[in-house]
Amino acid sequence: MTDERHKGGASLTDLRKLRNQMPGWVLIILALAVAAVIVSRVTQLIILLTAAAVIAYILNSVIASIERLGIKRSVAVILLFVFSAAFVVAADLIFIPNINLDVMNFYAKLPEFSHQIQDALLSIAQSNAEKYPIIESSIMKLVDIVFGPDGFLERSLNASEIIMQAPPLIMALILVPFFVFFLLKDWPGMMKRMMGWVPPSYVETIISVIEEINILVGKYLRGLAADCFAVGALASAGLWLIGINSPIALGILSGVANIIPYFGPVVGCTASSLVALMQYRSFDPLLNVVALYLVIKLMDDLVIQPLLIGKGVHLHPMILVITLIVGEKLFGIMGMILGVPVVTAAQKTVGILLEHHRDKLRRESTESFIRTRPVQTPARPI
Amino acid sequence: MITQIVRRYFTWTLDTTRESHLQTLSKGPLFKGMGKKLLRKLLIDLVEKKYTAGDIIFHEGEIGKAVYVILEGSVKIVKESNPENKTLHVLGPGSQFGELALIGQTSRFATAVAEQDSLLLIMYKSYFDDLLRRNNAISTGILLNLAEILSDYIHRNQPE
Repeated sequence: MTDERHKGGASLTDLRKLRNQMPGWVLIILALAVAAVIVSRVTQLIILLTAAAVIAYILNSVIASIERLGIKRSVAVILLFVFSAAFVVAADLIFIPNINLDVMNFYAKLPEFSHQIQDALLSIAQSNAEKYPIIESSIMKLVDIVFGPDGFLERSLNASEIIMQAPPLIMALILVPFFVFFLLKDWPGMMKRMMGWVPPSYVETIISVIEEINILVGKYLRGLAADCFAVGALASAGLWLIGINSPIALGILSGVANIIPYFGPVVGCTASSLVALMQYRSFDPLLNVVALYLVIKLMDDLVIQPLLIGKGVHLHPMILVITLIVGEKLFGIMGMILGVPVVTAAQKTVGILLEHHRDKLRRESTESFIRTRPVQTPARPI
Repeated sequence: MITQIVRRYFTWTLDTTRESHLQTLSKGPLFKGMGKKLLRKLLIDLVEKKYTAGDIIFHEGEIGKAVYVILEGSVKIVKESNPENKTLHVLGPGSQFGELALIGQTSRFATAVAEQDSLLLIMYKSYFDDLLRRNNAISTGILLNLAEILSDYIHRNQPE
């Protein structure tokens, strides 16, 4: 019977033996690979959950300050949600009509803007046609891709595509607050249950991982917000100084885009360059805009980021770029934004676990040394 | 003012378990003289873990990375290297142990075992270091109390 089972396939005992023979890290890599496959299948849900976790993390400080008054966590969460709902309704009544008006105006003026940009690009192409024919052909191609009959602009404004994107948006508007509510309310309970599963000898290591990640994520989010504000303010001031239209709007865009490392400044610079092109219909101000963004990027890398985000959240530039590319492939823009803190936290966790492993080995070797050491009587009292 | 109204008329909104843990915490020498708000912050931020009777919390000789405060139950401190496994102390609610971990990476000088089913509050060193960096009132209070505990210990163990 046993032999037959051996011929037919691995028995449970064989699998147990295999598990005992396999080093721990192989099991960890296998588990991570399975997790990656599952995650890649439900990306939409993971994105929503991650967004909810980030929002819950930020709101947790508000909940903690209400709790410090002695109030139950569940009551604090309900209070926060009631006040937030009231704020959203008030904002909807007061601000949304104005925003709607602006958006309607923008839509009404969009064809005019697009013609202006096209004219500007075509006039640049014509003026450079003799000297630099390659520039002319490139600009003509760009105009065709963006403003052509089946171009990017036409497709983006296509109502059916916007409607196609609406269901995930509506789902997000319902699901994210739902997840945020339960994450905020039940987080301490979840932590208690998780801590209950941790064997006593691993408690200090697990808590150290949680604490380090908590400190790291907090530092990263606070630093990122301050960094984006600083970059946005610098871009606004710089664009205003070199005389580009709408410096505040472009500064806000540059600040928000700055959340994504490396690609963010490119987005801000491209938008400002387009506005400069439309405004002056010449390449000269583009140099100023590019120089401004280069200076801002240098200041950001050398002064602002080390001061605000610090060295605690540091990834090697190569790992950073790989993280951004993999994050974008798996989860789109959210992957690019959240990839950095997730990988940094993973890096820190691995470091702490390795340190725990080293401590354990050191302790075991000391104990075995004490056990095997022959008992020596000191020659004289020490 | 609002807090007083809430405490008087909306008692159902109050976290009674946390308030009783707060009373326990305020009795301990490590948190002596600290305000209720600060102690509530600790109870909110720190991790709690239940141990069943007989669970070993940490072993003698391990590198200490956290301080433990007993919220419920009791813990005995045992010298494992002693051939008779001598019990040094039995600690109750409000007491702390492993406090030297906050100062530096020192080895635990004894083993801690849960004598009864116990609920412990665990403060990890990096949390304390973060409070110190931010110059938080909690870290100053804990440091002063820790200095007092150590000086008491030195006085008690000085030869006559």
